[in-house]
Amino acid sequence: MTAVSGSSLSAAGPVDYMKRIKPILAAHCFACHGALKQENGLRLDTGVLARKGGESGPAVVPRQPDKSLLLERLQTDDISLRMPPEGKGQALKPEQIRLLVEWIRQGAVSPEGETPQADPKSHWAFRAPARQPVPVAEESHNRIDDYIAAGLQKRGVNRLPEAPGETLLRRVYLDLVGVPPTMVEQAEFAADTAPGAYERVVDRLLENPRYGERWGRHWMDVWRYSDWYGRRKVPDSLNSYGQIWRWRDWIIHSVNDDKSYDRMIVEMLAADEVAGDDDENLVATGFIIRNFYRWNYNTWLKDNIEHTGKAFLGLTFNCCHCHDHKYDPLTQVDYFRMRATFEPIEVRHDRVAGDADPGVYPKYKYGKPYKPLTVGMVRICDEKLDAKTFVYSKGESRNIIPGRPPIAPGGPGFLGGADWNVKPVQLPPRAWYPGLKDFVRQESRQAVQKELAEKRGVLAFARRLVSEAQAELISANGSEPARRKLEQIRLTLVVDETNLQAAVLKVAAVEARIHADDVRYLGHPGDADQVARQAVRIEHEAKVATARVEVARARRAVVAAEAALAGKATDAKLKAAVTAAKKMLVTTGAAVTTSETSLKKAITSGATNYTLFSHQYARTSTGRRTALARWIASRDNPLTARVAVNHIWGRHFGRAIVASTENFGNNGDRPTHPGLLDWLAVEFMERGWRMKPIHRLIVTSRTYRTTSRTGSTDHPNLARDPDNISLWRFSPSRMEAEVVRDSMLKISGSLDGRIGGREIPQPQGLTTPRRSVYFDHHGEGRMSFLDLFDAADPCDCYRRTRSVRPQQALALVNSELALRQGRLLAGRLVVTPMDDPAFVDAAFRQVLARRPSSAERAASFEFLARQADVFSGAKPSELAVDPKQVTVAPATDPAQRARESLVQALFSHTDFLTIR
Amino acid sequence: MNDFRPPADHARCCGPRREFLADVGLGFTGLALGAMLHRDGVAAEGTGDPHGKVRVVPDGRPHHVPRAKNVIWIFLSGGYSQMETWDPKPALNKYADKTYEQTPLPNPLKDPLFELRSRDVIGGARPHAKIFPMQVGFRRYGELGIGMTDWWPELATCVDDMAFVRSMYTTDNDHNAEFQMHHGRHKLDPPEPVLGSWIHYGLGTGNENLPSFVFLGKYKDTRVRWNFDANYLGPAHSGVELSLDPGDPLPFGRRRPGVLAAEQRNQFDFINRLNRLTAVEYPEDADVRARIKSYELAYRMQKSVPEAVNLAGETAATQKLYGIDNKTTSVYGRRLLAARRLAERGVRYSLVYLSDYGEWDSHNKLQELHARSCARVDRPIAGLLKDLKQRGLWDDTLVVCCTEFGRTPGLEVRDTKQKFTGRDHHPHGFTVWLAGAGVKRGVIHGRTDELGFHAIEHPHYVTDLHATVLHLLGLDSRRLEIPGRKRLDVDYGRPITEIMT
Repeated sequence: MTAVSGSSLSAAGPVDYMKRIKPILAAHCFACHGALKQENGLRLDTGVLARKGGESGPAVVPRQPDKSLLLERLQTDDISLRMPPEGKGQALKPEQIRLLVEWIRQGAVSPEGETPQADPKSHWAFRAPARQPVPVAEESHNRIDDYIAAGLQKRGVNRLPEAPGETLLRRVYLDLVGVPPTMVEQAEFAADTAPGAYERVVDRLLENPRYGERWGRHWMDVWRYSDWYGRRKVPDSLNSYGQIWRWRDWIIHSVNDDKSYDRMIVEMLAADEVAGDDDENLVATGFIIRNFYRWNYNTWLKDNIEHTGKAFLGLTFNCCHCHDHKYDPLTQVDYFRMRATFEPIEVRHDRVAGDADPGVYPKYKYGKPYKPLTVGMVRICDEKLDAKTFVYSKGESRNIIPGRPPIAPGGPGFLGGADWNVKPVQLPPRAWYPGLKDFVRQESRQAVQKELAEKRGVLAFARRLVSEAQAELISANGSEPARRKLEQIRLTLVVDETNLQAAVLKVAAVEARIHADDVRYLGHPGDADQVARQAVRIEHEAKVATARVEVARARRAVVAAEAALAGKATDAKLKAAVTAAKKMLVTTGAAVTTSETSLKKAITSGATNYTLFSHQYARTSTGRRTALARWIASRDNPLTARVAVNHIWGRHFGRAIVASTENFGNNGDRPTHPGLLDWLAVEFMERGWRMKPIHRLIVTSRTYRTTSRTGSTDHPNLARDPDNISLWRFSPSRMEAEVVRDSMLKISGSLDGRIGGREIPQPQGLTTPRRSVYFDHHGEGRMSFLDLFDAADPCDCYRRTRSVRPQQALALVNSELALRQGRLLAGRLVVTPMDDPAFVDAAFRQVLARRPSSAERAASFEFLARQADVFSGAKPSELAVDPKQVTVAPATDPAQRARESLVQALFSHTDFLTIR
Repeated sequence: MNDFRPPADHARCCGPRREFLADVGLGFTGLALGAMLHRDGVAAEGTGDPHGKVRVVPDGRPHHVPRAKNVIWIFLSGGYSQMETWDPKPALNKYADKTYEQTPLPNPLKDPLFELRSRDVIGGARPHAKIFPMQVGFRRYGELGIGMTDWWPELATCVDDMAFVRSMYTTDNDHNAEFQMHHGRHKLDPPEPVLGSWIHYGLGTGNENLPSFVFLGKYKDTRVRWNFDANYLGPAHSGVELSLDPGDPLPFGRRRPGVLAAEQRNQFDFINRLNRLTAVEYPEDADVRARIKSYELAYRMQKSVPEAVNLAGETAATQKLYGIDNKTTSVYGRRLLAARRLAERGVRYSLVYLSDYGEWDSHNKLQELHARSCARVDRPIAGLLKDLKQRGLWDDTLVVCCTEFGRTPGLEVRDTKQKFTGRDHHPHGFTVWLAGAGVKRGVIHGRTDELGFHAIEHPHYVTDLHATVLHLLGLDSRRLEIPGRKRLDVDYGRPITEIMT
């Protein structure tokens, strides 16, 4: 556009169509008059087509601006006719119109053989991936290298040699498990001189649970993992949801187990429909819960559409919220079909074994804050089974277009999304009635059994007291106090006996309810009504028995009050107590009568409404999301596998094959290696959508093993392909935020290897040695240490940025984390006495996974000496630290403290932060 | 702990070139490497453009001749009432207690603008039919007779230097409008980078020893951070939060207890030396050079940042000017005085959060709450304007004072029995003002209707204010974008040229 703006027309010169006219038409007209759409039969994407025109005749008549419809429609005062139509594009500037006039006046010349816009449906990403032939290259480890070699050849660059073993080992550790190799692991690798040593390391790393944490975090970026937020200070959970960490754990476990990616997609979008009673996998629907926004369900649906499209398909549905897509054959109707797919959803709480019941999801009440859920699990369900979806305009849900029939669920029409076979799903009983689950029954049984055991114990104790009191009465020769004491204890015995009866009945009631559930819902033999009536009866009997306990207690209280009053008949307080106790006796007696009446009524009416073990939800689900998931996770979908392997490639190499990982459409980036992308996609699907084989292929390729070092800025490759698009070397990059933190912990031997669990509060990040993936991460703020190193944006992180900033240096030098881990490591390195050279060597190997050069060694010795001088010269007051502030104190020996300082400095080394 | 047993030493072969360069040619004080570092600049980012497209990265030069060098953006959170601050409306007293229908004026709720300029995040109408009279008197000040309420005795003396925009509007009737004020997007749309981030992106830094986009303020609600979030521009362009405690001015900006000054100096030198050795080994790696420079900067920042926000060096007269001598105004005066010091030192954009989160949100007891909040900031803000003038910073520094939305002309109504004495949120019209570099003195631009409801003359959406600030700094908002991120027309805004000199 720069060719046009600000230019004044020189009367003399001819107007260059390609440079000055076509860009205007492309920007303002092609979306509706090009290959994507041909409104009114008109295309303007070539000069010939413009001259040919549409249903209203030629748009451009050479040399006759007055007769050219194009100019008329661009300039008319009638808003209903003026192009571009309101809301569909920016009006042309006067100087642009003048250019068009001049071009037409000069004869509307356009080059011959001008190619029209390609059909957007024929866009490469919308055609099925296929293995394209490529010759086998020299030094090829697998097919990846052949495709890469072809690109190298095209650019005339030579591949660099393989990276040295120590560099490669560190690279693959950081890449696959997110922490570097320790000295011992380095030594093991160096000692394994048999062929295939590197491949064996790769196999081990892929089986290491640290791999799931590392790559789980990558997928959490793409799937926008976020803990709950909204108004955390209140606290009011508006976005995402409490307990969503179970989805995070599901991701890590699934990646570790190498669950197939197509299954993961199905579970994330529709586990409630395809595995409704599978507690382990229901939490996968956290993918949908993450987008939850309590204040506005339109936003929730909108985010689901946008991010399902971007994460799995590389399609930007969000553009079609208001209008048909400008570049891709996606329509606004496609958008609303997607919306219809999600329309029936609702949040659901479920109980999990060992946790209290979280209760039923509370619907939003205006102005009321909702604390985050802290027990159980959160998952999706279809609630509004007959929900209808109406098209609205301008992205504004208030503007429902009147008279337009509702839209059926589906996906993009051009990819077959209009003909889904959506069938309602009959859910298994445990899905819609979670009270049938074994753990719920077991916990209910345990609760009443425990009560029964307690009551038995209490009763036994009471019996002993009675016999003791009897003995006392005898030995006291029937004295009045002893007699009264015995009476009290006897009354207590009655209470405890009644309690036992109630406890026995409670146990019976639970068993009866379970039995009734079995017959009613799980197909066990029996008369459903009869067992239900039985359960009702025993429940009522238990209630009667419980009411009787209160009578027994009241009776004891009356006797006690009267005893207290005896001899002090004028004490008003004691008199009142007697009256109150008697009143209580009457009340509790009445309660027994009421419960007995209820029991009788229940029996005579044949009631079957015994207490359920949980809420019962809808027994069917719409099946809409299952249809969506199956359509996405299908070999016939040209995008799914490509998008996935592109993410994987990008996270291995720092640059994806399609750089716009979330946009594979016509306006996205072109693949740098289309043949390779397709080959990987096909390979991925043929290997059962499993990621580990793809990782293995990538990291064992020659391409991956190439050195990153040119050693000189004059290297000829740098001139030919400065950005290393063709991968003639391995691109060095800075560690991601989590890798920086986790590596410090691993190196110093502090890393706590436990997997999973509730999110850890951010402020503990510098002191709690768990992996970074387990800390609170949400839209209201990230851990500041991680944030400085460009931690994932929990709302949008299809790619990571990697900045170099002074605050990073401060975070490394001045953080409690670096200081503490440096001290610990220095201490652990010298378990056996060693001299400075040995220490420097060990520190470099442990922190940087390489030995120091002689220059580095010399610098280190000098540094150790200088620091030791500082410490020996310092006053004791300067060296003293407050143990409350500094939990791991520096060493008191100046030489050792200098070593600590050296290790801390190595954490700031550029070679620590860089993956080479 | 087996991992820590050091293995047997192996001699490592190191090229003689590396040692030679480090020790003799390009070593610790090597000139050639130093020159390289200078050229690359610290802002160079490792992976470059994530899209692989040619990207027009701003080179730090403005798009046109700038009128201002830096900006102090004062934000009063919660939504101050336009009529009880800088857009007094005597009609409210005239029609007090009447419904809109009972006045001879057109009913503002039936104006098409009402629907057009608001979008609910949560559904539910908020009735406020009865007109609530002004809760404070007002007078006309200065040459133009600009109306200002009696709660601004100090600022009233500055009126001939200020440019009021009385026709702002936004579209969210809830407090997410605060973030909208800074990034320009309604809560239901994905956020854009905030204004300060675009400035940082467009102009880079004005002082290498200080961050260029700074946040000054205190808050408990962490959403306040959304006001200085660069969003898709990346965290390198986010605002850096400075504390006014000189002992701990920025995150990780201070030696930890138990670390000696000499120890740290040696450590920085050592890191520098090692990194320079690596730079020789990897001459093609721009990140190494950027990192060396960033460490040098970091070391200097540990001194320069505390110095910049340390107010102890200011005279008693200056401190008094800002109200630092007074308990009520001290905390706010300190923030503004620090902002002036930062502006002097080349910080491009200071977001001064001059209230608690939501402090001005006067649904009830508006009179009491607004009187309190005005008293806290009147003197400090007036002090800032006077100080800028007396120091000759007036032509360098632009001051903006704003809030997220206005308040309703009508009385707040809730379904409770309690009688409210305040005003509800009001996105349809509110007032902001600007002063300083490039801004006309003593003018009013735009107008709300007689009741202060709709912005009817020269209405400006919040991004117009952003475009204005960018324009004065020499930036064209339409030239600030990165590939792959679609900005809408409304995101760019339009500079309010009418108030510019």
